[in-house]
This record gives sequence, C-alpha cells and structure tokens, in this order.
Amino acid sequence: MNAVAAEWIKLRTLRSTWWALGAGVLTALALTALGASTVISRWDLGQTGEHASMGIIVAVYVGVVLAQLPLGMLGTLTISSEYTSGMIHTTFVATPSRTRVLLAKASVLGGIAIAVSLLIAIPGYLYGQAVASGFDPTPLPAAAWTVVGGGTLMIVMTTLLGLAFGAIFRNGVVAISMLVVLLVLVPFVGRMLPGGEVVNRILPGYPALQLIEQVPDTMPDAAAFAVLGTWAVAPLLIAVLANKRVT
Amino acid sequence: MIEVIGLTRRFRRSVAIDDLSFTVAPGKITGFLGPNGAGKTTTMRIILGLDRPTSGRATVNGVPYRTLDKPLTQVGALLDASAVQGGRRAEQHLQWLARANGISQTRIGWLLELVGLNKAGRKRVGGFSLGMKQRLGLAAALLGDPEILLLDEPLNGLDPEGIRWMRGLLKSLAAEGRTVLVSSHLMHEMAVTADHLIVIGQGRLLADTEITQFVRPGMSLEDTFMKVIEGSAS
Ligand SMILES: Nc1ncnc2c1ncn2[C@@H]1O[C@H](COP(=O)(O)OP(=O)(O)O)[C@@H](O)[C@H]1O
Ligand SMILES: [Mg+2]
Repeated sequence: MNAVAAEWIKLRTLRSTWWALGAGVLTALALTALGASTVISRWDLGQTGEHASMGIIVAVYVGVVLAQLPLGMLGTLTISSEYTSGMIHTTFVATPSRTRVLLAKASVLGGIAIAVSLLIAIPGYLYGQAVASGFDPTPLPAAAWTVVGGGTLMIVMTTLLGLAFGAIFRNGVVAISMLVVLLVLVPFVGRMLPGGEVVNRILPGYPALQLIEQVPDTMPDAAAFAVLGTWAVAPLLIAVLANKRVT
Repeated sequence: MIEVIGLTRRFRRSVAIDDLSFTVAPGKITGFLGPNGAGKTTTMRIILGLDRPTSGRATVNGVPYRTLDKPLTQVGALLDASAVQGGRRAEQHLQWLARANGISQTRIGWLLELVGLNKAGRKRVGGFSLGMKQRLGLAAALLGDPEILLLDEPLNGLDPEGIRWMRGLLKSLAAEGRTVLVSSHLMHEMAVTADHLIVIGQGRLLADTEITQFVRPGMSLEDTFMKVIEGSAS
C-alpha cells in the first residue's frame, strides 16, 4: 500500500497530470453534450422511454472514446518520464521490487481512468436526461450496463496499455507512437485488407466499440469483454517480465 | 555495515569492476576514491540493487539490498542528484519518497531546514542549481534516518561554503555511529573529509587503509594518490 500511496502522490504533484485529465474530460464532455443534443433532436415522437434512455447512454460513452488518448499518454508518461529523468532509480531504491512499482502505478492509473469515465458519464447522463425529458427516459435499462461496463473497461485498458508500453520501451515518444499505431492505425488499415475484420476482432479497438454500441456486433459481448480484459492485463504482465531486466 | 565480496561487473567491451572486495565499517567516513571511470558509481549501483554483478555479491547489514523491507529506513543513498523530475516542488519530492517507505511526513520540514533548503522547499526542482539538487538529494538520503549512507560525489556542484557545510554534516553523521561511504575523484577533498580510504583504479582495489597510514613518507596525500594510481596502470 505504501507504494500505491507514493505513486498517487507522484502523479498528483505533476501539473502535466492535471492538464492531461482536464483536457481529456473537457473535450469528452463537449463532444458528449454536442452528440447527445444532435442525436436527441433527430428522435421521432414515438421513441419509448427505454429507447431514449439507451440513446443517452450510448451518446455519453462516445465522449469516453475521445478521452482515451490523453489517458493512454498519461499512462505512458507516468513511467517513461521517470526513465528519461533518471528518477526511476530513486523509485527502485525506495521500492526494490520492480513488479510492485509497476503494479502500484497500474492501480493508481486504473483508479484514475475509472474516475475520469465517471466524470464524463455522470454529467453527460444528467445532461442527456434533461435534454430528452420530453421522451420520459427510464433511469437505466439493463442493456445500458453493457455500455457502462464496456466503456469503463475500454478507458482502463487504454490507460494500462499506455503504462505497459512506457515500461517496455522506456521512451515516451516510442511508446505513445506504438499506442497510436495499435489503437488507431492498425484497425484503420486492417479494415481495408482482406481478412482485416477478423484481425480487428482481436485488437482492442473493435470489441470496445461493439460494447458501447458504436459498431455492429461481430462477436458475443462476453467475448468482447474477454478481448478487452486481455489487452488490459497481458501487456502489463509482459512489462513486468521486461522490467525484471536490471539497469 | 556494507560488504562487497569478490565483485566483478563486465560490460560488453570493458570490465568496470574486477574482483573487488571491501567492507565499510560504521562510525567513520569512508572515502571511496578513484579517477573517473574507476568503477565507483557502478559499485554503488550494485550495492543498491540497481545493477547486477557479473559475479560476486554486495550486502548491507548482511543481506542483499533488494531483500530489505522499507530500505530507506536502513540505507540512505545519493547517486545522481540531477535525476529528479523538475515539475515537482522539493517538499513534494520528499513527500512521495517518505510515503513509499511509510516514513512520517513530519521529518520533511526539519530536513529541508537541515540541508538549507527551507526557503526553496515550495519551489519547483526544475529551477534548482546542481548544488541545491545535491542538498535535496542529501535530504532524501536522510529521510528514513538510516544507519548507512552511500553518497556518490556529493560535493559536485557545491560552492566552497556548501562543501564545508557538507563536510561538517558528514562528520557529525559518522560521529553518531553511522556507516558513511562517500565517493570522490578528488584526493584533496577526501584528505580533509575521510577517516578511512578505499582506493580503486580500473575496477581493482588499490588501497584499503586508514587515511593516516595511506601517505607515503616524504610525500603529500595527493602525490601518494597519483603514485598509487599510476602504479596500478602500468
Ligand atoms: N551501462 C554501461 N555500459 C557500458 N559501460 C559502462 C556502463 N556503466 C559504466 N560503464 C563503464 O564502466 C566503467 C566504470 O564507470 P563508473 O562506475 O561510472 O566509474 P566512476 O564512477 O568511478 O567514474 C567506465 O569505463 C564506464 O565507461
Ligand atoms: Mg561516478
């Protein structure tokens, strides 16, 4: 617990953390508000309360998609900036277990990613409910929980993936480039190649978008959760192994 | 107590440390002396578990550093004082470090005062001079009130007043019974600071002796040092 508390102090005492979080939350909220208004203005009058509520939830998590990149970058910088400055040695002198350091960083970042998703989702949801009040939306239909769970896991996964890449490559530019390649470029290129949709299914992007109802289903939701969960955990385990390497 | 036993560290092309053995005893300042590239930093990094030896081992209080629980409460280290993140305030740097080993935050104000940074405690480290960073590094090393201190070239970047101050502080820490290992590549610094000398050259042990017995008859301390270094090179 000492290591987790220390990592939390490290993260909150750098201004760049608050810039990344502020930028992520504010742009996400702006997009959510804009998206919700646009979507709701197109609804016809026969919309049921349950459909309306689901529409609001889906619109809200579009914002969370946008907040992924600053969070992923924050994940990377949390460790790569320590390698760049050399302060990582002080960290390891205080906490000799590299695994413990990495898992402490992962716990703090995971918590922050969840908090950010709620900071976007809750105001977004309340705003959507207010704008769509004429349709009498129900509070939270059962299907909404898949969107909430999938959207939250999506942003946690990206943040931890950023951390894992930072720990593996130890260089912020390389790690962030890899993150962008994997999350944006490969899915985009994959779509144009034969068999690309099969590959996309095992990349983190598509299963996340399926769970938050942005693309048609190509796999059971349980499988999508499994793929996302694997992307959150497996790279971190590789980073733990890579960090056993000293110097 | 620090023990280095048959330590060797080979890099791809060079041998940085070559079968080095010594012990550092408590209650005095041990100067770890050698020209640039002699292997002082590499030895200290291995003692702290930051690098692995090719063969041999190093222990603190009889065990490998990596096995220590709350190591800052037993060993304080100052390696590269400039290796800090500039965006944090000095006191915030000490806060996370203290928290990492469950050390009370109440020591921080007192330590900042001890190292002469009480006014700079709320300033960001990025704006610090090397001398101020050395002072912050020393405060970090003393955070857990450790019995053992490992300081790599702590006098670098200090002004003459700072050097005098550091010397006095190290002496009082040793007088309290602590084990103090201080590296330097400057003989005349160690001549007035250390009680005991461990001299290495090209990774090999050249001398391990009380400073009073190091000097050869009819020679200054510095001349003796140069002779010892030259003798090893040929
Ligand atoms: N990571 C490294 N890779 C290759 N050579 C290294 C590395 N670190 C140190 N060395 C070499 O080991 C030798 C000892 O270096 P060092 O311990 O820094 O000496 P000192 O601190 O006494 O000046 C030098 O020749 C240096 O070039
Ligand atoms: Mg050195």
